[in-house]
Amino acid sequence: MTDAAVSASGLVKLFGDRRVVDGVDLLVPAGAIYGVLGPNGAGKTTTLRMLLGIIEPDGGSRSLLGEAHPRDASDRVGYLPEERGLYPAMKAKEAIAFMGALRGLAWTTGRRRAVQLLERAGLGHAADTKIRKLSKGMAQLVQLLGSVVHEPDLLVLDEPFSGLDPVNQERLEALILAERDRGATVLFSTHVMAHAERLCDRLAIISGGKRRFEGTVNDARGMLPARVHYIPQRPGADVAAALPHDARPEGEAGAAGWHFEMPPEGIEKVLVRLIEAGHGIAGLSIERPGLHEAFVQIVGRDALEAAR
Amino acid sequence: MSRFRRTVRQTMTIARRDFVATVFTPIFLLFLFAPMIFGAIGGTVGGLSASSMAGNKDRARVVAIVAPEHARAIAEADTRLRAVFRRDEAPPQLTTLAPGTDPARQAREAFAAKDYEASAVLYGPLDKPVVLYSGLGSRTADYLGVLAGQTLVAEKLGNALPAVSVTKTRFTRPRGAASNGRNPSAFFAVFGIFFLTLFLSGQVVGTMAEERSNKVVEVLAAAVPLESVFLGKLLGMFGVAVLFVAFWGTIVGNIGALMPPNLARELGSVAPATGTPAFGVLFACYFTTAYLLLGSVFLGVGAQATTMREIQLLSLPITFGQMAMFGLSAAAVAQPHSWIATFAEVFPLSSPFAMAGRAANRAEIWPHLLAIAWQLLWVGLFITVGARLFRRGVLQSGSARPWWKRAPAA
Repeated sequence: MTDAAVSASGLVKLFGDRRVVDGVDLLVPAGAIYGVLGPNGAGKTTTLRMLLGIIEPDGGSRSLLGEAHPRDASDRVGYLPEERGLYPAMKAKEAIAFMGALRGLAWTTGRRRAVQLLERAGLGHAADTKIRKLSKGMAQLVQLLGSVVHEPDLLVLDEPFSGLDPVNQERLEALILAERDRGATVLFSTHVMAHAERLCDRLAIISGGKRRFEGTVNDARGMLPARVHYIPQRPGADVAAALPHDARPEGEAGAAGWHFEMPPEGIEKVLVRLIEAGHGIAGLSIERPGLHEAFVQIVGRDALEAAR
Repeated sequence: MSRFRRTVRQTMTIARRDFVATVFTPIFLLFLFAPMIFGAIGGTVGGLSASSMAGNKDRARVVAIVAPEHARAIAEADTRLRAVFRRDEAPPQLTTLAPGTDPARQAREAFAAKDYEASAVLYGPLDKPVVLYSGLGSRTADYLGVLAGQTLVAEKLGNALPAVSVTKTRFTRPRGAASNGRNPSAFFAVFGIFFLTLFLSGQVVGTMAEERSNKVVEVLAAAVPLESVFLGKLLGMFGVAVLFVAFWGTIVGNIGALMPPNLARELGSVAPATGTPAFGVLFACYFTTAYLLLGSVFLGVGAQATTMREIQLLSLPITFGQMAMFGLSAAAVAQPHSWIATFAEVFPLSSPFAMAGRAANRAEIWPHLLAIAWQLLWVGLFITVGARLFRRGVLQSGSARPWWKRAPAA
């Protein structure tokens, strides 16, 4: 296996004349949790489907676990599609074993592991229950267990958190971390920033079929300047003169404080000016922007509105 | 694991799932016993209907208004002629009436008689009789004409009528000696395969609908090539068909042991040109290829349907298609050396039927090996095309464009 579990270069997909994916590059390091972020309709699912070989790209190249043809790596990949699907008449453990069997796991081993996984996920009582009798969340969890039953080297999850209640979202986050700890690479798409922020080692942001960003969460957050909130000890009209030009007062003449972006050269010079001018410092906080703000900045407000 | 072995394993995983999902359901029992259930219903209704018809038949009569001196002769002639008919094909019983003053009126009134139902009435001199008939009694009227003639001959010749004693000996035609090639086993072969595939291969048409409605197709498509999914589903349903045939084959085989000796001998006289063992193997092969060929087409077409309504609508053209293949193959076995036979043997969808007929008519084995390979090639083609259409239409993959048309990144 190479150091990259997944690599894609210049992936293109056309639906009719529309470029749904337009030259996307990806490099997912082995053993990492990698997020593909983007608004609805950005091309995330199409990109994942091309990476897995479900559909063929119209341009570019990709490799999966070192295999130029994704099919050759299919036994080492687990996949949870965006549209969940199970056979309703199958029992939970059979459904998990079936998904393992599709990936080369013996049925008997699959059944045994299915029971273990279900018990670990708190669903041991449902092992012999038919899928049609499970709640939507439980069925979704069963499908997720089916995607890891064969202990894949790469786990691809398309919008895995959608439709799950907070408790099951927690379970899923724990499972993703456990898979990473086992040594698997996890690639998942989402448009919920909180999950990405907590889980991802690296991420790519896709919008309009193009990759707009690639890097760590910190890299993304670092694209926006930090916000400074300053509260003077002795407020006065001349405080503004010591602050950067974009400073905005809070309350009567800034009595409650001032907001401004962190200057490129740092906060130290501003603080020196304020102290020398005798305004003092009653309070100072520096807030780094979250991934949400970075995402909005990167994708653009127009794309966000369109997604809504 | 080699790509081939992986493909085989994935195909068999799909086949196993479909087989188990179909067989281990209460509905399958209904499917399995459907011939018995509907046979019993049909038999009961048919029995009641036959009983009713027999009652009507008992009342049906052909009436001869003849002078008393002819009555005995015409009754004896009727007995002699009636002997050549099968029971169900014999004309109605004969009733003779003495002529009154107006035989023509008497004949018309015979149709209104309360104690019998006349289908034809003869009156007048026997050398120039007049026969009235009602409804579909034209053939019965002909019979009365022949009966009048035979009566006159018997009366004229009296005891001089020579008695003919016939010696009947059964002769079994040697294998392959059907000079015109119309071996009855050829038609049985074509009809047998048609009958089995008519009921069984149509089951395949809706199988992809389950995956589409449950959205499992995305899981399958990510793990398994679509061609394997299609072939696996086809093999799974073929397994169901084989189970059905084996079940009913065993029952019918045992019933065969209880058949009347005459019927058993009739069946035993069916002598295919290739010999019975080879014919049995070829019949099984052609049933398999017929199922796979028709099934792969139905599967590919059915996979494009988005609703159960569309799938139901497909059943009519599918049945017509099968009937057309049967008609073509039946024509081929009736004219074994004609261009129709050649066409039916080569055309992929009729080839298994026509070649099964050929196995009954002609002794060469090598064309069958060629035909089976040819048919399996088409199974592969149909599955490939069906999977590609599914990938393009249902998975919305668009086409994998050829490299010279591939789009560069913007």
